[in-house]
Amino acid sequence: MEIILNALKGSFSLTIKLLIIILPLTISYEFLKDRTFFSGTKPFRFMGITRPGLVPLVTGVIIGLTYGAGVIIHSIRAYNIGQREAFLILLFLSVCHAIFEDTLIFVVIGADGLVLVIARLILAFALTYLAYRARLFDK
Amino acid sequence: MDFSQPFKRGLLNGLSITYTMVKVIVPCYVAMEVIKSLGLIEAISRICRPAMGIFGLPGEAALGLIAGYTINLYAAIAVLTPLHLSGKDITILALMLGICHSLTVETPVTRKTGVNAWSLLAVRILLSLFSGVVLNLLWKLF
Repeated sequence: MEIILNALKGSFSLTIKLLIIILPLTISYEFLKDRTFFSGTKPFRFMGITRPGLVPLVTGVIIGLTYGAGVIIHSIRAYNIGQREAFLILLFLSVCHAIFEDTLIFVVIGADGLVLVIARLILAFALTYLAYRARLFDK
Repeated sequence: MDFSQPFKRGLLNGLSITYTMVKVIVPCYVAMEVIKSLGLIEAISRICRPAMGIFGLPGEAALGLIAGYTINLYAAIAVLTPLHLSGKDITILALMLGICHSLTVETPVTRKTGVNAWSLLAVRILLSLFSGVVLNLLWKLF
């Protein structure tokens, strides 16, 4: 019984810590969502991602695949993003998504956040660039 | 501009995420404490030590890795917290899990975008393992 009680206490304090991180993220996302904050960014042409492709890309990097799924799927269809570019976007996102949330929740239990963000960004850019140059997954 | 609408939407989204999270965290946390009290951690650790050694991780870290790959990151965190691992171990696990997690949920999502989800799945698993090995080596260097 004491074990269960301990576990409940532990999971409660863990949940509170995660809640403190998640709420500001979801609230600030709602404020950013409708702004045209994509328009200032230079297209990521060098790795085969065009300006319309930045909408699903940035959405995924910031809020993740599970909660960003709606926007990602919709924008890939609405902007007529090709199969090849869609693959590159998803490849980038596979390695690097929900970058704030995923990083912070591990920082709560003791991880080094800077190492995580840098490592994931480098891996994502490198992999996407290589896949683009190598025409690896072209039909 | 009306600030209360987006604020409310964000708050509700955050709370609904937290609700989903609690449903995963509590059972995983309780299960881990029970496993711990039964003394099973040592046995699991011994079995998984050779495999986890590649990433410089203790054997019991395998539990967190499996929970993250198959369920989600919250499950992984609930499993890892009672284990009290070092900062280095958590960072390596976080990188591996950040690249590859919730495969049961996210693979169907990527399939809906019309891209080849299976090759993405393979890339994620391989890259996750690869990044764990590399980060461990880099950590030893510096």
